Amino acid sequence: MLSDSEAAELRSFLSPGTRADVKAKATDYILGLSGHRDGCRFLRTKPDLMASLLALTSDPCVAMVKTCYLALINLSADETLHQILVKEVHVVPVLLQNLVDPECQFSDQICTILSNLTRHQRTCRAVFQVLQEDVGLVQLVEIFCSEGFNQKANLHYLGPLLSNLTQLPEARACMMDRDRCVIQRLLPFTQYEASLVRRGGVIGTLRNCCFDHTHHDFLLSEAVDILPFLLLPLAGGEELSEEENEGLPVDLQYLPEDKKREEDPDIRKMLLETLLLLTATRSGRQTLKEKNVYPIMREFHRWEKDAHVRAACEKLVQVLIGDEPEQGMENLMEVEIPEDVEEKLKEADSREQEELQEEEQERRRQEEREAETNRVD
Amino acid sequence: MASTEVQSDSDDGMDEFMDKFKTQRYKNAFTEKNWEEEFNKVPMFMKSAPEEIDPQTYPELACLQSMIHDEDRSPEEQAKSLKNEGNAYFKEKNYKQAVVSYTAALKKKCGDLELNAVLLTNRAASHFYLGNMRSALNDAAAAKKLKPDHLKALIRGAQCSIELRNFAEAVQWCDEGLKIHPTDEKLRELRAAADKHKRAAERDSRKARAKEKKLHGEKEALLAAIKDRGIKLFQPVRPRPQGSYSEDEDERSSAAAVAQLSLDGLSSQEVTGAQVFLDEQGVLHWPVLFLYPEHQQSDFISAFCENNCFRDHLNVMFGEELPPWDSDRKYHPQNLQLCFEDEEKETLYQIDLEASLLKTLEHKRCFVKAGTPSFLVLVKGSSFQRQFLSGKKIHGL
Repeated sequence: MLSDSEAAELRSFLSPGTRADVKAKATDYILGLSGHRDGCRFLRTKPDLMASLLALTSDPCVAMVKTCYLALINLSADETLHQILVKEVHVVPVLLQNLVDPECQFSDQICTILSNLTRHQRTCRAVFQVLQEDVGLVQLVEIFCSEGFNQKANLHYLGPLLSNLTQLPEARACMMDRDRCVIQRLLPFTQYEASLVRRGGVIGTLRNCCFDHTHHDFLLSEAVDILPFLLLPLAGGEELSEEENEGLPVDLQYLPEDKKREEDPDIRKMLLETLLLLTATRSGRQTLKEKNVYPIMREFHRWEKDAHVRAACEKLVQVLIGDEPEQGMENLMEVEIPEDVEEKLKEADSREQEELQEEEQERRRQEEREAETNRVD
Repeated sequence: MASTEVQSDSDDGMDEFMDKFKTQRYKNAFTEKNWEEEFNKVPMFMKSAPEEIDPQTYPELACLQSMIHDEDRSPEEQAKSLKNEGNAYFKEKNYKQAVVSYTAALKKKCGDLELNAVLLTNRAASHFYLGNMRSALNDAAAAKKLKPDHLKALIRGAQCSIELRNFAEAVQWCDEGLKIHPTDEKLRELRAAADKHKRAAERDSRKARAKEKKLHGEKEALLAAIKDRGIKLFQPVRPRPQGSYSEDEDERSSAAAVAQLSLDGLSSQEVTGAQVFLDEQGVLHWPVLFLYPEHQQSDFISAFCENNCFRDHLNVMFGEELPPWDSDRKYHPQNLQLCFEDEEKETLYQIDLEASLLKTLEHKRCFVKAGTPSFLVLVKGSSFQRQFLSGKKIHGL
């Protein structure tokens, strides 16, 4: 790698006052470094180089700025650089400043960088702290939910960022602030057709928020009313009896024949997991039973082909039609599981996963074979 | 006994003045008749303020008013006084007058943005309670334009939108408001309410569409069942305004009418509104008219099952008792002859009474008019029958 003096020279090439072509070559070089492990390892020792790179993101030359952002994306993908980027290079305030600018054309790249940085809890926490002192999570949600906020960037990658941030309880508390209207804004996006990334990010966020069972009543209440937004992507156009319809939440009543379900199986699974989380408390179970979730799941189960997703659906249905657990076990999240039982459950789980994997692979092979026979030469 | 002695002269002439009252009546004194009316004109004793203040009749009031609304004062001051006036009316729930005051205040066009925003918001509130939602909304919007962070205007705008059932707009007002006042409880409540209404309205339109579709489906099934049986619905052809019919044209236009199996062909003229329907077993039931030309009478059967035969109905209708209009007592079931008329060809076709309704309707010259098959009933061998049938073509069984 570069010697100290060479690194210093490189740094000088990255100063804003340097000739444009020299700057461009230097940033290209850094991009090259960021593309592989050795380069990243080297850069880890040179935070000042990364700081210069960051400063150049406000350079007038658009092509070069793009290079800088690409390099930063690469760097942020390397977990070992996370702490340095946030705590020494101080990328977050600069990135946020640009993110909230409706004219910034690199907002999507910024979202990607921030998403990468928030993947693991430790740095996520650091990022969140800076965020709250700066723009704030609430504003990020506002921007994310404002259609056409930035004409040059669609900001779909703010979805995964929010999902990552909500792995922290402090972020979840902010998201579910009862004095404000934050999480409510995300709900309509569970059906956002135009972007898988956005949809997945939103549903991931909602799932994370459901980990705290103390918030379940709030989430299921009219103040938020999360349930219809989780069910709609799973509901189809099958006709239900008038009686069944009238018992459903308003948004699910009388759906048209051509109603389509969520296409991505992973997202379908996430939705079911979120619903399952909501059955942890007695009142949650009651609400889901009262709101006629079962018929929706019944029709869904008939339609679903993916083995993993079916299994998730079956788990949910079991809770919906099963008896109430005995006294002392009403809150499924608080039940203490003895160690040996836990071991057995883990084993059973991994066996189940294997079986499902096989089942799914077999089904896909079947599909392939059918497709083959239908093909013309 | 009180003395009425005249007191000694005082320096200020008060005594003389007082003396006058003992002898003279003062001018413009209140009489028994007019004292109430006069009292009501004195500002202090008024029970209610008049709508218009005519300086001739209410000089004192006019005086007071001009003091309050002195044109010499600055526009801001005048506007403020008018605002206070409006607020007073508002408190009394006299919203109409409140609007007048606020409008007058706004007309002063004083430069104070805050004041004008408040005036508009207050006027919006007055309109709201008067039920003038549109005006209220316009005023709230104008206030918002002047002062985008004016909380009361934002709340009022949302409320008006909800009343106007413009729920999407209501949510927008709330979101705008929450950007500036993120923790305001009223805005949050309104947003939740508006959102709920919006989703309920969406459900209602989905429900209506589903019902319409179902009805349409049922109608289609009904028409298909009729068509499958080869039953022809007759649509009366409007006569051409001029020119003579050629035989070919005549054929074509009636053929077109027959081919037109539209829903209109099923409209029933009966008061009961009975219509042919398809039951769960796929059997048709028709409303049927029996006509008795001899006595200008008719009978209406609301649901004649297509598989039933005429004999059964006639036995029920004429078997036990004869109808009151049957003066000759001759309409016994075994004496009756039924036929249907082919209007186009002016031909009568006799009906086999043992045959089912379906069989009869399948006849190639049988047309169902206005969705109700009608049949003529005559008594075999009667003089009326002979009369009726003379000059007409009739096909036997």
